[in-house]
Amino acid sequence: MKAWKYIVAVGMTIVIASGFLISVPDIPILEQTSRNLFFHVPMWMAMFSMFSISFYYSIRYLNNPEIQFDIKAESAASVGIVFGICGLMTGSLWARFTWGTWWTFAEPKMNLAALAVMIYYAYFVLRSAFDDGEKRAKLSAVYNIFAVTTIPFLLYVVPRQLESLHPGAEGNPAFSEITAPELRYILYPAFIGFIALAFWIYDVVHRHKMVQYHSENS
Amino acid sequence: MKFSTQDASQAAVDTLTSNYADKWDGAGQIDQTNAFIQFMYSNDLIYVVLGVTLIIWFVLLVFLFRLDRKVSTLENKINPSKNHEA
Repeated sequence: MKAWKYIVAVGMTIVIASGFLISVPDIPILEQTSRNLFFHVPMWMAMFSMFSISFYYSIRYLNNPEIQFDIKAESAASVGIVFGICGLMTGSLWARFTWGTWWTFAEPKMNLAALAVMIYYAYFVLRSAFDDGEKRAKLSAVYNIFAVTTIPFLLYVVPRQLESLHPGAEGNPAFSEITAPELRYILYPAFIGFIALAFWIYDVVHRHKMVQYHSENS
Repeated sequence: MKFSTQDASQAAVDTLTSNYADKWDGAGQIDQTNAFIQFMYSNDLIYVVLGVTLIIWFVLLVFLFRLDRKVSTLENKINPSKNHEA
């Protein structure tokens, strides 16, 4: 194992423990659930970074059609979708006990995030539709570029123009002066930690897919 | 306790919520809901945070199990004596 993986393991342990241990400000309705900030929000950051990696390798593939770029793009997208599902499920649980419902169609960010995950689900459906590896790689790379361009609009631009229960609606940044600054000391390490964890998982998935590819083509 | 999902301002943009608000207003009647919901509301909602971390853990665990199974299938297929550095 490479050294950075040990650093991620130790760092994530510290982040999770301190996420539970630090004293959070007393916010009505949220109460202790403001700690969810350290777990729910980094899911999306991990998803964004995985989809960015996937996007990068899709472009690389279209410039230079070598199958390993396609394998990397596929691996990153699959890890990204796992974190997206984590984000949706944690968000739903959090919503139940603060907004009073598991799911609401009044909340644009919630629904558009689900849409974003479904767009990436369609990426895998598209991939499974081809038997020919080269054709699959090329078309899914094109689709992936379309899919990634929807992400900023679905999760940043549109929700901020609409009324939303999420902090950060109506054009405000998510961290305004109403949010307690001490939460950031855990939040930013949690971003780094979960993104690094996602990258680690991506690395394992990618290596598995490479071995699989070589075993099938040897 | 009434939460903002069912506010009139929300209902203006979302007719579905206003139509279903009676059914969805679980947060308003904590006393009448089941034991699980009451448990989650206890101790300043700290069990919601536990639930969130457990969801993440279980999703990653399921993913890990699936990956493990795929790697085992692959190992059985190629049966290498090579030493893969993890």
